[in-house]
Amino acid sequence: MSDFYLIRKNLTRNKLRLSLNSFAIFIAFLLFGVLASLQAAFDAGVELSSEQRMIVTNKINFTQPMPLAYVNKVRAVEGVASVTHANWFGAYYQDPQKPLVGFAVDAESYLEVYEEFVLAPEQREAWFNNRIGIVVGDQMARTLGWKVGDRLPVSSSIFTQKDGSSVWEMEVMGIFTGNDEQFDTNYFLLHYKYFIETQSFGGDWIGWITIKTTDPALNDEVSKTIDAQFANSPAETKTTSEKQFSKAFVEQFGNIGLMITSIVGAAFFTILFIVGNSMALSVRERTNEIAVLKTIGFQAPRIFKMVLSESILLALLGGCLGLFVANVLVNGAAQAPQLRSMLPNLVLTDMVAFKALGLMLVLGLVTGILPAWRAMKLNTIDALNRR
Amino acid sequence: MGSLMAQIVAVVAMNIRSLPQRIWMSIATLVAVGIVVAVLLAFLALSNGFEKTLNTSGSDKIAVMLRAGSQGEMSSVLLRDQLNIMELAPGISRDANGPVVSAELYVIVDGTKRSTNTPVNLPLRGLELSGVELRENFSIVEGRMFEPGRNELVVGEAVQTEFSGFELNKKVRLGQSEWTVVGVFSAGGSVFGSELWGDLKTVQSQFNRGSSAQLLRAKLATPGDVSEIQAYIENEPQLNLDVKTEVAYYAEQSKGITNVIFYLGWPLAIAMALGALAGALNTMYNSVAQRSMEIATLRAIGFSGVSAFIGTLVESLALAAIGGVLGSLAAYLFFDGLTTSTLSGNFTQVVFDFKLSADSFISGLKLALIVGFIGGFFPALRAARLPVVIAFKNAT
Repeated sequence: MSDFYLIRKNLTRNKLRLSLNSFAIFIAFLLFGVLASLQAAFDAGVELSSEQRMIVTNKINFTQPMPLAYVNKVRAVEGVASVTHANWFGAYYQDPQKPLVGFAVDAESYLEVYEEFVLAPEQREAWFNNRIGIVVGDQMARTLGWKVGDRLPVSSSIFTQKDGSSVWEMEVMGIFTGNDEQFDTNYFLLHYKYFIETQSFGGDWIGWITIKTTDPALNDEVSKTIDAQFANSPAETKTTSEKQFSKAFVEQFGNIGLMITSIVGAAFFTILFIVGNSMALSVRERTNEIAVLKTIGFQAPRIFKMVLSESILLALLGGCLGLFVANVLVNGAAQAPQLRSMLPNLVLTDMVAFKALGLMLVLGLVTGILPAWRAMKLNTIDALNRR
Repeated sequence: MGSLMAQIVAVVAMNIRSLPQRIWMSIATLVAVGIVVAVLLAFLALSNGFEKTLNTSGSDKIAVMLRAGSQGEMSSVLLRDQLNIMELAPGISRDANGPVVSAELYVIVDGTKRSTNTPVNLPLRGLELSGVELRENFSIVEGRMFEPGRNELVVGEAVQTEFSGFELNKKVRLGQSEWTVVGVFSAGGSVFGSELWGDLKTVQSQFNRGSSAQLLRAKLATPGDVSEIQAYIENEPQLNLDVKTEVAYYAEQSKGITNVIFYLGWPLAIAMALGALAGALNTMYNSVAQRSMEIATLRAIGFSGVSAFIGTLVESLALAAIGGVLGSLAAYLFFDGLTTSTLSGNFTQVVFDFKLSADSFISGLKLALIVGFIGGFFPALRAARLPVVIAFKNAT
């Protein structure tokens, strides 16, 4: 008779208690899986941002424009390897209630700065050579059913063309993906030239500049030089690392991290209490048996290990089930178009799964350690006398 | 019947008095239910507070006109000639100075959130003094109003408390020129309290907006009635505008975020309630098992199964109710009145308070009692059906 046999029998002797406890643990890890994935999706922009990239925006706010001439001035700064720029287009397709993310960019330099961008070479060439051409992120293309070769009327909720219309004709020249599963592909890129020459505001202005430095160690130096250069001009600049920029943006929504951590913490605290008590109770009920086991020669450490294994097994059982269902839910939710446009990188990452496994072990240990200790220290004579 | 009541009272009293014997399991249920209720209330207070802030911003005496299809002020543009035509619309109230309207410009500037020290988007609204009069709850609480034609700002109270960078008398550089914060205003808890206000023409020129605006507010001749304005817009080919009452506009603005909070909060609370339910069932089955000897004795001396059933059910309901009350109390102490801010539909910060409503408390208690009821019902059935002989045997 192996120890595992005994552990299994102990675990399953009260089927009702087993199912209730596993269910409570199941819920805790379901919440963890879903919420941690949500948080990871929110933070993905920060995590995936490159150390070498920096964003130059108007100091007043990143929605305020800057002159196009800044691009060349920034390019000349020492330590800057490559430079590109972008404008927010405020796009929507047919339904103004469903905004799309679209940027007007300088195609060649944009791809140079964003290296994680994956686009087939022939699609790339085709895009460069078509004034009204756009490239669409894989996820956006799938959501909207857009294919290479489609000619589409895309509207802007901000800009109008010189003829008063707010609809631009665009042609899909390529579908891009990223080199990481969390890479956001829920946007499209159109040519800056096409945009700026047709919109009615006039002028050569841009939304923001993205630069790549030759070495992340130079970032501070570069940012100071750039901002000093435009100080006291009509459009002062603020240069921050891409990471800082994304982080500040995410934080504008509120402290999502704190919120998620508190909820998960509250859920775990509850489950810890429920399962811990239940484990203690079931070991107390077994006092006699444990005494008998000891009498027939089971060593105290072996008893300790058996009780602890039982609680860990319980945590793993409920936890893995919860994690599995969380994965199904997250994948399902990620398909919903509303969520996809808000949180393009929603997946249950390996990191989250590993953390969950770690938490299961901790939960099993914490709920089992006291009962296991008591079982180990159990005085055989007293226990048998209690009958 | 009287004897049944007496039996029930006796059994309930016995169960409640024996609670200390199962103290830890009982506390587990209490805590579990309390936490579930507190989490639910936190979400409800968030969505309630946000909704309240946006709802107090709108008046049905005011109409709001934006470019057709705009999601909010940010994405709207109204040119001067459109504004001129619009001001002639019937349905707009008129006084000695002509139509009571306010063309407003809305641009985003950076502030710093005090709690995290990170940059945030704050709205800078350019408007005329006549526009200020369209806000009923507006009053200057410190300093003075901006003077038209000067680079002066007045800032909302919420901006003062939540964000830094726009303190009273501070000089702020926006673009080419320096602006002075000359006053702080209260806006009666509305979204305007999260805004910076300056003179329309000055903002237009400093931000290169020519004579364009983003939104036109107008006092309605008949409160709540925009149909005349609507008809006028439809007949005027140069106008491509949406018109709605201010109330409707802010209700629309609040919908998105309130929905997110609401639809996130309830499923979360329900999932956690299921976890707590598992705990409650565990506790109550255990309670029945522990008391099986006692129950069997009572049954043997003539107590009915019904009294055993109700005794167990009441114990569970009592635990859940205490948990629910404690959870509500904790939520009230920790969350109610807490100030927070988030990015609104207009891409700028809206400051609002967590606000617990009576409805939220009732929802929380209902949830607690549902957990208590289901958590007690099945164990109570077991208690009622406990075969007396077996109970005696098992208990030895």
